Amino acid sequence: MKTMTTIATALGSLLLVASVQAQENKLYLFNWTQYMDPEIITAFEEKYDVEVVQNYYNSLPEMFAKLNTGGVSQYDIIVPSNYYVPRLIETGLVQKLDKSKIPNLDNVMEQFDDPSYDEGAVYSAPYQWGVSGLVYNAATFPDAPKSWSLMFDPDVNPSHPFALMGDGQVNMGVACAYLGHGYDCTGVDAWKESAKLLLETKNRERFSGFVDGTPSLQQLARGVSHVAMTYNGDYLFYKDENPESFENIKFMIPDEGTEKWVDVMMIPSKAPNAEMAHNFINFILDAEVGAQLSNYNYYASPNEAAKPHLDEVLTKPPVQPSEDDMERLKFTPSLKGQQLQTFTQLWNEVQSR
Amino acid sequence: MKKRTLQRGLSGFWWLTLVFLYLPLAVVVFFSFNAANSAARFTGFSLRWYERLLGNEQIISAFWNSMVLAIVSSVLALVIGCLIGYGMYRHRHRKLGWLIVLIYLPIVLPDIVFGISEMAFFVSIHRYTGLLQPGLLTMIISHVTFQIPFVALIVYSRLVGLDPTLFEAAKDLYATPFKRAWHFLLPTIKPALISAFFLSFTLSIDDFVISFFTSGPESATLPIYIWGAIKKGVTPEINAIAALMIGAVAIAALMSLLFNRQGQR
Amino acid sequence: MVESSRTASRSRAVIGESQHLLFSVAPGALWIFVFLVLPSLYLMAVAFMTNGPYGLPQMPLTLDSFEQLAGFGFLGWSPGNLYTLLRSLWQTLIATVLVVMVAYPIAYYITTCRVKWRAIMLLLVVVPSWTNQVIRTFGWMNLLAPGTPLSDLAQWLGVIPPNMGLYPSNFAVTLGLVYNFLPFMVLPLYAAFEKLDTAQVQAAQDLYASPMRTFWHAVFPQTLPGLLAGTVLVAIPAFGMYVIPELLGGGKGMMLGNLVANQFAGGSNWPLGAAGAILMLIATFIGLFAMRRIGKRLGGGEEVVI
Repeated sequence: MKTMTTIATALGSLLLVASVQAQENKLYLFNWTQYMDPEIITAFEEKYDVEVVQNYYNSLPEMFAKLNTGGVSQYDIIVPSNYYVPRLIETGLVQKLDKSKIPNLDNVMEQFDDPSYDEGAVYSAPYQWGVSGLVYNAATFPDAPKSWSLMFDPDVNPSHPFALMGDGQVNMGVACAYLGHGYDCTGVDAWKESAKLLLETKNRERFSGFVDGTPSLQQLARGVSHVAMTYNGDYLFYKDENPESFENIKFMIPDEGTEKWVDVMMIPSKAPNAEMAHNFINFILDAEVGAQLSNYNYYASPNEAAKPHLDEVLTKPPVQPSEDDMERLKFTPSLKGQQLQTFTQLWNEVQSR
Repeated sequence: MKKRTLQRGLSGFWWLTLVFLYLPLAVVVFFSFNAANSAARFTGFSLRWYERLLGNEQIISAFWNSMVLAIVSSVLALVIGCLIGYGMYRHRHRKLGWLIVLIYLPIVLPDIVFGISEMAFFVSIHRYTGLLQPGLLTMIISHVTFQIPFVALIVYSRLVGLDPTLFEAAKDLYATPFKRAWHFLLPTIKPALISAFFLSFTLSIDDFVISFFTSGPESATLPIYIWGAIKKGVTPEINAIAALMIGAVAIAALMSLLFNRQGQR
Repeated sequence: MVESSRTASRSRAVIGESQHLLFSVAPGALWIFVFLVLPSLYLMAVAFMTNGPYGLPQMPLTLDSFEQLAGFGFLGWSPGNLYTLLRSLWQTLIATVLVVMVAYPIAYYITTCRVKWRAIMLLLVVVPSWTNQVIRTFGWMNLLAPGTPLSDLAQWLGVIPPNMGLYPSNFAVTLGLVYNFLPFMVLPLYAAFEKLDTAQVQAAQDLYASPMRTFWHAVFPQTLPGLLAGTVLVAIPAFGMYVIPELLGGGKGMMLGNLVANQFAGGSNWPLGAAGAILMLIATFIGLFAMRRIGKRLGGGEEVVI
């Protein structure tokens, strides 16, 4: 009897706790891992008297899947990259921004006003931009060529473990670049050739997995792999956090070209707190907050007004690539329909064989 | 002579198997005290990873989610499963093939099929009615679904093991079915209920796949958090949380041992 | 007259019994029906829908997803999914055989120990499975990574090339599966050994000279029900495993569970994922059915308890 009552009371109070939690004023932020300065979140919470709930993803497919399985009505802000923007818009997963609520949009650099992925920037506001490049252990490869051959040529790296990227489209792009078709290739023949290269590469004895950009750095630091792909900002962030482990780890933009990307802030179409989401976008686009963000995560800022407040490291490579390198950087193409399905079939083939 | 060598060989094999079973857990605990961020070198004793845990709100809320999920689902499953178990016993002479199939279904269904079915179902229900948004509630529902059969089977097998004349005696003693249930049935099957509760609790804590597919933004459990942390890159903090969970399991094992000893006496 | 009143009271009793059945069984049966049978049926329906431009199911109904599962796509036939299926079957087979090879002597050994030790020994076997499978798998990631003593040993023996670890690899996946499912085999085998009729064994020892023959004729058949129950408990979840290949396989060990999960968690193709789930269900039920048949034929009429 007594135990029954105890259990019933415990049950009741737990349910109460659970229901109370759900009622407060909150902003749900769905973001990449290691991409947001906790102090910015605290400042925002104080300014608007709101609690920010953060959830994280390591890849865009993961984010897209979560949005499709209920997330569209559970998150207020998402931070996808350029090539996922069109499919988010077309599937109706995001809503138009009310620009009157975001006066700080004036701070954004001109080149982001009318981007190819979202004409007129109707649905999106830029967050940060960066580069996906090759990262390697310079102690293992003192004379590493400035080329993807470090990854794809077994003669250049005959004996050390290496990892490919988790996101299929980026892998396909760099394979295309290495084969001379350019990073943003979309032709079926070029894709087939690249998929074949990826398949051969993944079946090499030293291949150690498909690893997303952030964890691949940890693997390099721990010696689990010696060559991998990552983002320029994450590289600097972890190098700064742990200089010893990253002493010999180097980042490069291969001469065959690679990916540049823009991550943007968007509001899901059924966001529970769209009003606050607009406030959040406006807050991030503030000159000083924008600079604080870049100073924290080491990514280039799309914020013109933030420029005077940026740390020096953000004004030179690899955050701001040299002009030569800049010319070799391309956006990942946005795929849809039959093209997307063809790509998916090829990528599935690479993963499963 | 031959028998003794066999026995000795088996004993050696037993100890090897124990090493196999506990080595991965021991390594996690050992490296959770490592001063360096490395799985290969132990550079010195340190509690720094545990200190980091304390300040991590996400881990604390994940811990609470795990607890709420396990307790609430186990209690619900206990009530529903107990009823089924009793019904199965009372009507065991009838043809209840359909019920047996229904009860075994959650047990034999692969985790992943279970998880994605629930997810796809909840998502479409939510699309049309606005109910059952992914979160703690959908996770509780899914967990209860896979716990019910285990509770029912445990209760059923306990009842089958009882002397049928006991039920006749109870009928004479207590007039109403409710009194009978309260004063006779429940106390009699109490051990079965306790072990069913603990099994349900363990199943809930052990589950990752089904929780993963039915969770929402604020309902991440510890396993989901750890999965996310592994996916983000192996950090020693995971060693520390995992070590704490292993510690909890070790305590539970010791308790069940003591409980067992007392039961034997 | 007397006859009819008796029938009446009996029929009332039958109604009462039916009501009783309804009240006791209905909540749970309904729960499982609504929250598992309906969702599974819905998932099966998804398999027959068209894959939308971004991977979500759409009308009209079609068999496309099954064609894709069989490997047919825009670019003609490709064997990727066949590889995945064969790899899943192979891993399941190897893991189950290894689990039996470890569990059989262990279960026997426990029954030969003193009664008061047995509960503790069983507990020791089961306790690791009380921790979450993500944590257990994480333990192996730590243990098998490059630079760890085990990997160094394997390099020295020439099993793996220099600079590599035992993880990630298909071997690590097998090891993870064996580790994960060992207790599920030990418990039913232990139950079978405990019930072992020693008189039969004694008689066999008198009849046949060699211990081998005694084992095959007197011991093994008696443990078969436990073995089959264990095989069901190991093979079915191993075949649909997602966590272990994902964490330990390193992109080379993809199994059917990953193929299915990727279609949902990677957001690429729900109908294909649902079709994969159907394939998994069919394999599960074939496995269960086969085990029952074998169990009935070999187990001396004793039903296999699963």
